[in-house]
Amino acid sequence: MIEIHNLTKSFEKIKAVDEVSVTIRDNTVFGLIGTNGAGKSTVLRMVAGVLKPDDGTVAVDSLPVYDNVEAKKKLFFIADEPYFFANANAQTMERYYSGVYEGFDKDEFYRYLESFNLDKRRKIGTFSKGMKKQLALLLGICAHTKYLLCDETFDGLDPVMRQGIKSIFAKEMDERGLTPVIASHNLRELEDICDHVGLLHKGGVLLSKDLEDMKCNIQKVQCVFSTVDDELKALNGVEVLKKEQRGSLRTFTVRGTREEITARFATVDTVFYEVLPLSLEEIFISETEVVGYDIKKLILG
Amino acid sequence: MTSRNSFWASSKENHRRRIWVWIVSIMVQLMSYVGMLTVYLSRIRLSYSDGAYRTYEEYISALCQGTKDALAFQDNLAVVLGGLSVMIGMHGFSYLYDKRKVDMYHSVPVNKNKRFAVVYVNGLIIYLTSTLVSILLGVIVAWLQHAMDAEVLAVVGLGFLWNLLFFLVIYHTVILAVMVTGNRFITLCVAGGLVVYESGAYFLVNAMQYAFFETVSGFYVTHNPKLSVFNDYFSNIWQLKMAEDVQSAARIVLPYCGKWFILALVILAVAWVCYGRRPSEAAGKAIAFSKLEPVFKVIAVIPIGIGLGMWVHSAAYGSMALTAVSMIGSGVIACGFIEVIYDFDIKSLFKHLVSSGVAVAAIAVIFLAFKFDLTGYDKYIPDVDELDSIALSVDYYGQFWDENFQYVGNAEFSEEHMFLKDVEPVLALAAKSQKEQAEDMDDRRIVNVLYRLKSGRRVGRRFNVDFSNPANEELMNRIVGTREYKEGTYQIMTDEASYAQALGITYNNGATNLAIPVEDALKLREAYLKDMEELDFSLITGKRPCGQIKVKLPIWVNDSLDVYDSFENTIAYLQSKEAFYPVELNPEDIADITVTNYHNELNEVISGDVSETGMAYVDTREAMAVNADYSYSDEHIVTKTFLEEEEFAQITKVIYPAYMSSDWNDHRELDDNYDIYITFKKDTSYPYDRSNFGVYYKFYTGQAPAFVVEGTALGADGQ
Repeated sequence: MIEIHNLTKSFEKIKAVDEVSVTIRDNTVFGLIGTNGAGKSTVLRMVAGVLKPDDGTVAVDSLPVYDNVEAKKKLFFIADEPYFFANANAQTMERYYSGVYEGFDKDEFYRYLESFNLDKRRKIGTFSKGMKKQLALLLGICAHTKYLLCDETFDGLDPVMRQGIKSIFAKEMDERGLTPVIASHNLRELEDICDHVGLLHKGGVLLSKDLEDMKCNIQKVQCVFSTVDDELKALNGVEVLKKEQRGSLRTFTVRGTREEITARFATVDTVFYEVLPLSLEEIFISETEVVGYDIKKLILG
Repeated sequence: MTSRNSFWASSKENHRRRIWVWIVSIMVQLMSYVGMLTVYLSRIRLSYSDGAYRTYEEYISALCQGTKDALAFQDNLAVVLGGLSVMIGMHGFSYLYDKRKVDMYHSVPVNKNKRFAVVYVNGLIIYLTSTLVSILLGVIVAWLQHAMDAEVLAVVGLGFLWNLLFFLVIYHTVILAVMVTGNRFITLCVAGGLVVYESGAYFLVNAMQYAFFETVSGFYVTHNPKLSVFNDYFSNIWQLKMAEDVQSAARIVLPYCGKWFILALVILAVAWVCYGRRPSEAAGKAIAFSKLEPVFKVIAVIPIGIGLGMWVHSAAYGSMALTAVSMIGSGVIACGFIEVIYDFDIKSLFKHLVSSGVAVAAIAVIFLAFKFDLTGYDKYIPDVDELDSIALSVDYYGQFWDENFQYVGNAEFSEEHMFLKDVEPVLALAAKSQKEQAEDMDDRRIVNVLYRLKSGRRVGRRFNVDFSNPANEELMNRIVGTREYKEGTYQIMTDEASYAQALGITYNNGATNLAIPVEDALKLREAYLKDMEELDFSLITGKRPCGQIKVKLPIWVNDSLDVYDSFENTIAYLQSKEAFYPVELNPEDIADITVTNYHNELNEVISGDVSETGMAYVDTREAMAVNADYSYSDEHIVTKTFLEEEEFAQITKVIYPAYMSSDWNDHRELDDNYDIYITFKKDTSYPYDRSNFGVYYKFYTGQAPAFVVEGTALGADGQ
């Protein structure tokens, strides 16, 4: 588990991260979402032990990470622009990382290289941006660290590659409890990968929740009530996050489990009602609007 | 067994990425050592074939010296080593400049200290391997050409140590510069600044002292940089080249190696601490530690401002207003320039005005401190109670030597041998000098003093003494008449051993040189020392020597001892050896006297007239052109030869040998307007020197006989 407590970091007079507290549970895919400049990279660099926090703590499995080799053995950091040695190829990088990470699995690495059609002898300088990101991900996965910190690594990967990486994540999570932490400025990039999402804005955490919890606790209901009294009766005691109306068709975003909401609407007289699934985007819009933010402006743009 | 993550595994991995540095290093070292050795030995071989060496042994000795010069103590090697240390040091830690590299290196589970050690040791290995390979090849080449023996090999080993420690200091300085900076350009600036700052500061302080103070003197006490390895290197390299054997070289090398080793360790320790504290986000910034930005700015701006100000000072003939304006102005500009460099943004020109203000204020304070002598430098005269002793030297240059007959400077000799305990006359003269204007003095002499304080401090100063002022005579007598002064001024006083080794002695009265038996050197010294007891300021300024004893000592020394009329013991000794002749010539021995009158008074008059017109600089040629009566030529020089014995009698009474120098009263007593050339008859009472067919004399000032003045007047020769 990575515990981030009151993490603060300033660059000269600019506060990049302001008292961020997040807990990243083991064996989950944690998405760190936020606009450019929200502080995602700074948080990840502090989690990776690259930057020293001005205040607050980062503990990786209870170990402070900054300047701590034992803590760093548990994580692999893929920066937004991963660095590869000059004139290096995949083999060169493997040699370096297998010297640094005791658990680096060379065989697995070369297998994955083949699967992703990456030539181990080709100079990395000739790789496309996407190929470099794939290579960095494969190096990170094969380092066999418990935590894999990916800064904007998935942005720009094509769907096939994303699916491939997702499968590998699933396999590694299943086999050895890998915990990927993925920072992105694009919510849609994370929707199908993450289990838990933390939303950063202006250096602080706006929201940190399990996607399942969010999905289970927010429902969208479309219905046509017979009478106004039925509507009042149905919504009595229900937290309505959003309400829309087109003619007699009402659309509510309400908090509660599917069962609870279905049961509630079954007790009133309706012409028609249906509980619909929400996309991650819709959930975020609802949750952030509750705390006064327009998420569309922040991350969906 | 070595684990995958061990030090040497990391080192090997690091080396893979530094191959090109090693290649460059070995190429440079090969050129520096083997290349230069080949050039040196080729030159010596060519000289040998041209017959430059008398014997084969001499030729082999030259080859061995060539090997030492190339492989041990090569003067241009300091520059090569400096360049290598910059390349190796910067390349090793250059990842710190790049955010992407920092992200990778600082996130992997490698101990920070181990990474430092790996990069540091690898740099050292690159230097050592390339140097050792080059030297080894050089030794083989030298051996094949008979330019190598055990002694040379030992000197080469000593040179290796000397160069290694020099490299280490610069290498560590570069690493320190990398640690406190965030990009290559600033690293180079800071590394260069660290290397030259102390020397530059000394240079500027020295320049300001000479520009603003009257009493500054580098005669006895010179302030040299203490920590500048380049200064140490270059100030000793010639001595090392000249060292006769490995022991002599080791005596020079080992103390410096000790000093450099400690210096290198301290710099490395500071660099290591900075490395530990360096924030990762410093990559790409100008200065890694934001708190150091104003500090660096202030310490960089002060010498820049003062240096440019002093440059203007010399260019503007000492104009204080221009100096002050240029110091402050260049300080302000430098502040803005440094801020622009820090941010790589022209808009930052006026950022951080507080530190800029501090830097400019510091420049102003330094200028004012020198201009108005706020430290009391020029007014400094120690209290009598503070002083242990004084060494003093009037601005003459004697010849001094050590027990090996090696040259010893005037200051060094008097510093080691003169311990004036009666300090009051010196302090009184120094105090008088502060009240008197140098330009009002008729016969101004510069006196350098070394105050040895009881605290152990040594202070060097200089002041002016007017020798023509009778009021100074008593004070000067109390100095010059003391045994302490004489021991620090005349080597004969204390150095019996040298005179025992005299190779030849002659007595000269200006017209002849007479040999004295060399085996009597100590007897002559004994007689001379008795006469020296009466020597004081009044004697040496009031009278001119009647002759000079020249003592030829081994190697190069020709000690010259003035003999005065009152030196009874010396004269009696010389007479006993039939070697004394009076300075006044016998008119009967003279064949003719030719007097040349240069009419210097014309130049003086014309110069004076022109000066009144306000010209700051008067060139004689220009002055002559201004005066319509004369043009610049030899026309105003009049020469006349006198042939009558009566004329000889009058002339010989008022002349003095032109080349029998006397530092103490030359300025006042001899007339430079005339040259007197005397030729002697074939049969004379004295064995006059006829090697040049005659001798030169001068009139005592104002004593040229009237018939000579008339005979050499303008137009007297019919021109």
